[in-house]
Amino acid sequence: MSGASISVQGLAHRYGRAAAALTVLDRLDIEVDGGGYVAITGASGAGKSTLLSVLGGLDAPQRGTVVIDENDLHDLSRNGLADYRRDTVGFVFQHFGLLDTLTAAENIELACSLDGMRPRARRSRARELLEAVGLLERRDHRPTALSGGERQRVAIARALANRPRLVLADEPTGNLDDGSTERVIELLESLPADHACTLVLVTHDRRLAARAQQRYELRGGRLHPSTKVTTEHATAIGDPEEPDAVA
Amino acid sequence: MRWRDAIGLAAKGLRRRPGRAVLTILAVALASALLTALLTIAGTAETRVLNELAKGGPLAGIKVAAASPDPGQVDQDDARPGPPKDLDQAALDRIRALADVREVVPIVATRMLVVAPGTEKDGRPRQPYTDDVVGVDITRASMLPVTLVAGQLPEPTSLVEVAVTEGYLQRVGVNKPDAATVLGTQLELASIQGLRVTDDHVVPRGQWAKVEIVGVVAQEAGAGQILAPVEQVNRSLAWTKAGVTDDSSIPVPTSTYSGLFVVAEGIDNVGKVRQEITAVGYATSAPENLLASVQRYLKVVEIVLTSIGAIALVVAALGISNAMLAAVRERTREIGVMKAIGGRDRDIRRIFLVEAGVLGFVGGVLGAITGWLIARAVGGVVNGYLNEQGLASIQLALPVPVLLVTVIGATVLALLAGTLPAMRAARLPARDAVGAV
Ligand SMILES: Nc1ncnc2c1ncn2[C@@H]1O[C@H](COP(=O)(O)OP(=O)(O)OP(=O)(O)O)[C@@H](O)[C@H]1O
Ligand SMILES: [Mg+2]
Repeated sequence: MSGASISVQGLAHRYGRAAAALTVLDRLDIEVDGGGYVAITGASGAGKSTLLSVLGGLDAPQRGTVVIDENDLHDLSRNGLADYRRDTVGFVFQHFGLLDTLTAAENIELACSLDGMRPRARRSRARELLEAVGLLERRDHRPTALSGGERQRVAIARALANRPRLVLADEPTGNLDDGSTERVIELLESLPADHACTLVLVTHDRRLAARAQQRYELRGGRLHPSTKVTTEHATAIGDPEEPDAVA
Repeated sequence: MRWRDAIGLAAKGLRRRPGRAVLTILAVALASALLTALLTIAGTAETRVLNELAKGGPLAGIKVAAASPDPGQVDQDDARPGPPKDLDQAALDRIRALADVREVVPIVATRMLVVAPGTEKDGRPRQPYTDDVVGVDITRASMLPVTLVAGQLPEPTSLVEVAVTEGYLQRVGVNKPDAATVLGTQLELASIQGLRVTDDHVVPRGQWAKVEIVGVVAQEAGAGQILAPVEQVNRSLAWTKAGVTDDSSIPVPTSTYSGLFVVAEGIDNVGKVRQEITAVGYATSAPENLLASVQRYLKVVEIVLTSIGAIALVVAALGISNAMLAAVRERTREIGVMKAIGGRDRDIRRIFLVEAGVLGFVGGVLGAITGWLIARAVGGVVNGYLNEQGLASIQLALPVPVLLVTVIGATVLALLAGTLPAMRAARLPARDAVGAV
């Protein structure tokens, strides 16, 4: 099993109605093969989060088709979208989105319990994932006791709880310093290979975007392949093999 | 998500983010405590007070006089008796055999000469006077309308101890609060026997005895001011009957018993037993109407107290609603995140509903315990007062049904209160998880 393929055609999304309507996505197309790694950049307010929310089934597509593997999101009901999110998608947020009242392990177990997993299976799954992100010894700590980078690694572990085939990360390093950013990005980049999923990364940071297989800039409601990444930028963090490659 | 998981989640939330939850729980606990305390106290008043008093006779008790019933009076609490009629062993046995009669305590009385100790106000020695001495089986005094005011009851077998009534206090000029001052003083009592001197001349002669006053009582067992163990009275009667019995100057009772005190099988049977005794042919009196109105008043008190408690609980439930609505607003992003990681609407609804239920349950349990303690404290104060008044103290039973009603009531109300916030949480758009910074 590999990552989910994405096929979006003519996607439009607007907020509000009539005169006050704000068109954020406008006839947007994108094709991603299963197991792909896509980076999306764009100015603030360009609609990146909106796009992710549609891809992830948090918002129903208003116009156009969004097909993830065989699932046409248009056809899904409210509950159907919830099932799709639980079974297929893993989200990583800029604000981490961990529950402060739960420990690292319990946060992961919560995701498992939404899937109806039994307590014992949940515990071993949480252990396994925390071990994979290198935080097993912090499993009983609550998010407030963890650094930003550690929280984001817990959040990534949680996103993987239900073995998603599509991971959507919205500015996952937006609140992190350089060192943490590097660890988190390495972890995310390992997902397509290690966990058989497709990765869509939204970031402001062009140096990070440069490391993706496919790179787009969201502008005017559409995705434009972005090529203007200089070697200098790309190598500032990490060591991408093909800094100037065109998607 | 399973219910069990939702409960675990709510419990962790409460434990690790006490703040507002504690205040909400306190409100519920306070209301539940009020409800428990009021229900317990009202319930105790309703059942215990009546039963407790009834056990002591007065309330479930029926006085049977050595007289025929007056047909026009049978429905009155204090029926005026008809013409005198002997109350003998056979009558006692018949009454004892009636259905729903728990106990029959015979009462005897004898007329004696009494000399009180001390002197009159003007210094002269006190003059003897005649009075009825009422004899009862002291071991069964708790069933009789006899209440101790000071001191103690005479030893059941004693021939030298008596108790006196407040009427006696009045006679010797002692105020009720000073009742204890007559304790330990000695009375001289004389049994009267008629001695025939000539064919038409009978003179009384007395057999004197000294007795000690050991207690002051309020009693309605018989008409006299002195209460003595039955054996004392029987001996006196025997002495009287051994003399001339057919002379009008000598008070010889024709009835074996001066009265009976019949305890019915529970307060509800008082009316029935009274009718049966009337059928046997004796006049009765019982505080039936008084009892009914006391019961009615207690019922009203119970309803009022319960409503106050229930209103408090509803107010507390509104507090839960309010706190939960605020929590939903505060946790919009958390809800969005839970949806993003796969929570269905019903999972979210369940989580918030369970959280409200847990608040109600915990508050209800704490409140029930506290309420029981409050009721006990109140009971203690009431008992202190009762003891001071020389009345039997009340036993509070652990009111398991009341505690259950409180806990279940608090939980159910909390669930109702949590419904709206839970629905609102469930309808929140999941999108909010991604959009917010
Ligand atoms: N619920 C909403 N109602 C109305 N307008 C909205 C709503 N959500 C987003 N918008 C608007 O849609 C536009 C795109 O929002 P979006 O969050 O997708 O941008 P973004 O590219 O993620 O920006 P950022 O980089 O700041 O996160 C913004 O102008 C925003 O104000
Ligand atoms: Mg955004």
